[in-house]
Amino acid sequence: MVNFAAGGIATPADAALMRMLGADGVFVGSGIFKSENPEKRARAIVLATAHYDDPELLAEVSEDLGEAMPGVAIEEIPQEQLMQYR
Amino acid sequence: MKIGVVAVQGDVREHLRALKRLGAEAIPVLKPAHLEGILGLVFPGGESTAIWRLLKWSGLVEPIEELHREGLPMFGTCAGMVLLAKEVVNWPERFFGFIDIAVERNASGRQVDSFETELEVKGIGRVPAVFIRAPYIRRVGSGVEVLAEYQGNPVMAREGKVLVVSFHPELTDDLRVYEFFLKMCQEDHGNHGKG
Repeated sequence: MVNFAAGGIATPADAALMRMLGADGVFVGSGIFKSENPEKRARAIVLATAHYDDPELLAEVSEDLGEAMPGVAIEEIPQEQLMQYR
Repeated sequence: MKIGVVAVQGDVREHLRALKRLGAEAIPVLKPAHLEGILGLVFPGGESTAIWRLLKWSGLVEPIEELHREGLPMFGTCAGMVLLAKEVVNWPERFFGFIDIAVERNASGRQVDSFETELEVKGIGRVPAVFIRAPYIRRVGSGVEVLAEYQGNPVMAREGKVLVVSFHPELTDDLRVYEFFLKMCQEDHGNHGKG
């Protein structure tokens, strides 16, 4: 059975890690579209997925990608916006 | 006998397993260094444009073209057939073009139209054949030998050292189509495998 991983993948290293954990591929949406340079990052994530056990290539494609998708630290979210209090 | 399997996308695992079952040393090919010393190269099923882009980005297109010029036997199944064909009638890009055929991508229909059948293959006999969104051959050049047809559509062909099939011999227990390719590689032994 083919297995894909999705959710929160924002860097080539994230994609490679999913392959190392046994996923056959990844789905990436916001990780690409909300990054600074979507085209370059998309290509890097695709290459990292195919070449997940080639550390040199992973390092190379991870260079110069600009900012990744911004994350939000849980402690910075006001209480009224937290799901469990809404 | 070392046989490479293009391993950037597609049903790589199934091809590696088929080769191992036949006693070959199966090498996943992800970068040019992996091509060293192989006696044959397999292009798996998958998605042809994705495989092509990854081959380009991985610096593998030119080294593979060079191996073709040197006469290395090559075997394309399904998407692999599309990559090796000279012409793709329903796609603007041209890929390797190592065999003088025109193919139609996804000619056998969508995923739900996938089917299994038996085919009469020249020199082998009746073999089970799995078709998954398979390409069909729409034109064959004069130097190309058609080895099997399905409902009048050529689905297996050979020109010199290049063998292509629309279906997936790596997905059945009957590996005679695969053996046919390994024989092509053995005949060639001596011209390759340096290093």
